[in-house]
Amino acid sequence: MKRILDAGIKLSLFTLIFSASPLLAQNNKAAKIKAAALQVDMIESDEIKLPAEFQVALYENLIRQLEKNGFSHVYRDGDRNAASAADLVVLHSTVRGFKAGSERARQVTTVSGATSITVHCQFTSPDGTSLLEQDVIGKVRFFGGNLKATYDFAKRAARVANENFSTPGRE
Amino acid sequence: MTFRGAAVLVGVASLLAGLVIPVGSTQQVSGPVKVIQVTGLAGVKDKAKGTLNVENGRLRFHGKASSEVSAASIQDVVTGADSQRAVGGTIGMMSMAAPYGGGRVLSLFRTKIDILTVLYRDADGGLHGAIFTMPVGTADVIKKQLVAQGAHATATGDSTPATTSSTSPSKEQKQ
Repeated sequence: MKRILDAGIKLSLFTLIFSASPLLAQNNKAAKIKAAALQVDMIESDEIKLPAEFQVALYENLIRQLEKNGFSHVYRDGDRNAASAADLVVLHSTVRGFKAGSERARQVTTVSGATSITVHCQFTSPDGTSLLEQDVIGKVRFFGGNLKATYDFAKRAARVANENFSTPGRE
Repeated sequence: MTFRGAAVLVGVASLLAGLVIPVGSTQQVSGPVKVIQVTGLAGVKDKAKGTLNVENGRLRFHGKASSEVSAASIQDVVTGADSQRAVGGTIGMMSMAAPYGGGRVLSLFRTKIDILTVLYRDADGGLHGAIFTMPVGTADVIKKQLVAQGAHATATGDSTPATTSSTSPSKEQKQ
């Protein structure tokens, strides 16, 4: 009888510890930065020779994915309305690595010809203070054209923004 | 006499060959060009098919949805080259399941295309970028027409292909 009681106490203790740990982790998690509006600067690729269509596709897909992720005010590069936006966060993106790959090689061999783009994303306040910096990689391994890597990058970058910034009406 | 006859024959044959064989690089564009709007044009879905033409200082896209951009608002026009699968879409995808690598053989057949990238600003000053794919030799003509009607281009008259990524894998560039 005593053994059963001991086992019961131990079991309840383990349950308590394991159920409490996620709650503790949540408390330790860094608070999201407030961003009521986001301005996306044009993708820079001064050091890496990136085809113009990749540069534009990165920029357009990034804006689209940020809007899809609940950022209601996403301003484009040079948009005059951004100047009056409160809690504005500016996203600067610089291409750090580019492997063109080959759609034909992907389709013929399946294992080779992957396209990948590495972009350094820097989120700053309007005065230039850095809030968050992270490298984001976009890839296309098996199916699709080379430009699909830009879509993959945009989805990942939007996820980073979603995890680190909060907008009113979306927590 | 026979030598003279042969020379005339060769001359006539050369003349006819010159008329019949088209020169790809000097393709003339008269009227709208069939294009695919890959992404970026306001109010038009991605991968929308349509026609593109330049008239009255505006770049016009006509498809299921139509859109136009003033040439004066265009910041840059860049042409490039790429290739696409000759057999694409659903059939191309289904062919991948063909036995004995039949689908993979189909992937080897590709057609060359031109890419036209246009950067322009909207009324609020916001920067937009639109990408079009079109038949070989047409992107340069549209670029020249746009520049003639007031569009800006950082490399005017330069038609160096931006990429040939699909045909030749290039080495990875790292900082």
